[in-house]
Amino acid sequence: MADISIGLNCPACGGAISVTEGEDTTPCQYCGSMLFIEGDKGVSTIAFTNKVAPPNAVASAQAWWTRGFKARDLKTVGQVTETYPIYLPFWRAWTRVAGWVCGYEERRHTDKNGRVTVERIPKEVMVLQDYNFSEIACDPGDLGIRTLRNFVGNTSFADFEMIPTFEATTSKDDAVTHAKNDALSRARSGARVPHVTFERLHVLPRRLSMIYYPIWVVRYKYRDRMYMTTVDGVTGQTMSGRAPGDPLFQSLAVTAGTSVGGLIAAAGLIFSGGTTEIAVGGLVVGAAILYMTYRFFRHGSEIIEGEFKEKKASAKQTLNDLGSIAKQIQGGMR
Amino acid sequence: MKVIQVKCPSCNTPIYSKERDRLFFCDKCNTLHVRDGGAEKLEYEIAEFGKSAQGEKVYMPFWRMYSSFTITSKSVEGGQLFRLSSWLKGGGNSGSLFIYLPATDMDTNSMKYWSTTYTANPPRYATRLNFGGVRRLAASMNREEAKSLADFVVVTMEAEKPGVLQRLDYSLTVNDAKVVYLPFVYTQGGLTPAL
Repeated sequence: MADISIGLNCPACGGAISVTEGEDTTPCQYCGSMLFIEGDKGVSTIAFTNKVAPPNAVASAQAWWTRGFKARDLKTVGQVTETYPIYLPFWRAWTRVAGWVCGYEERRHTDKNGRVTVERIPKEVMVLQDYNFSEIACDPGDLGIRTLRNFVGNTSFADFEMIPTFEATTSKDDAVTHAKNDALSRARSGARVPHVTFERLHVLPRRLSMIYYPIWVVRYKYRDRMYMTTVDGVTGQTMSGRAPGDPLFQSLAVTAGTSVGGLIAAAGLIFSGGTTEIAVGGLVVGAAILYMTYRFFRHGSEIIEGEFKEKKASAKQTLNDLGSIAKQIQGGMR
Repeated sequence: MKVIQVKCPSCNTPIYSKERDRLFFCDKCNTLHVRDGGAEKLEYEIAEFGKSAQGEKVYMPFWRMYSSFTITSKSVEGGQLFRLSSWLKGGGNSGSLFIYLPATDMDTNSMKYWSTTYTANPPRYATRLNFGGVRRLAASMNREEAKSLADFVVVTMEAEKPGVLQRLDYSLTVNDAKVVYLPFVYTQGGLTPAL
């Protein structure tokens, strides 16, 4: 965490104050007075300074157009229609997790006679770790931004009058709860105890900040359809975006996917030799590949990068759909 | 956001410091206070340095929590339990103990070492009223955090011994928390107790 200038002065000597982000006390570097920063309900608020000019934001978006499986003529056909900066609010929390996770893991050994033995290895793991968490503090709409990755830069509220600012709409309590859940989940997975018999983990929220971060929105047109890209106003890197996909990649995916999926399903039936499990396995794998091909085809017309809610849901939905397909096939074979 | 100059809640003297510290000590009237919504005076003790202490002196703040602890059941693979029971006043599966936790920022291994060392062997010392010009390390842990971590200390003491802990059912109540400044000296091996 870097020291940041918060644009305030020491009430004793008038000297400018630097404070570590998230801290609420600091000594004045000029007169030595101990100072206490009272935020809104204990939350310190900072705003990062925008460092990106409009041409740089457009250049960054256009560089993004050329990466990945996007339409190959996007750079020549795409037309930027609108470029503007906004300030988005983010919660940032520091959380410490301390405790123990005890339990065991099982290791299977097979001897030369094919006999399987299970070895139970007791484990006790101490967790003592600090975690950082960030999440957007308003409805991001279709921007595809939910967390903040960069925390380095100059801070100032000077741009606030010139750049439209989104108001924070989520509560401090919700942010703290999310930060605690995130830290707990990361601590548990970091402990790597597969079978837990005892767990005592304490989550200590240490600091909470509200960060206003500058983001450029670049909207553009491609063959009468509108798309957009967002660019980090501090680093100049693209953060999220939607772009047209390439028909060639779609066709290749459909051809290869249907061929491979069909072959595997057929091979499962032909070479099962009357064994139901092999036939079902072949059908399930084949169906899975066909289904993933279908989903790629369906969404292949648009390339989506970033933290879009619908994108996450579709990945989860894919797994659920695959599970139900497998169950239906197994049911049909019996 | 507002910046205020920290002043002693007893005598209104401004507090001066070169370090960021969550505990504010008034050199004029020897009041220790913390700010969390408002100024709150804290109970504290400052231990006297041992006569043989050599080297650069420093005080390290600890939270000392008088706690009641009861073990209801336990399970250990390949070892024995009840290291804890030897430290409990009253013996058996329940009793009381002083749990120590460093209130200053330090690496996790050091924090674990000092907390388990002093909880297992509570320091004995004479007290004094002020720091006598000796530097003190800044505190970064508040009382609520210390109370939560008290639980971590006792489980750590039980877990870090031969055998692998599998289950420990217990209850822990922190009855009282006080700040204790313990004396240390800087040596080649780092900070060394100087009681």
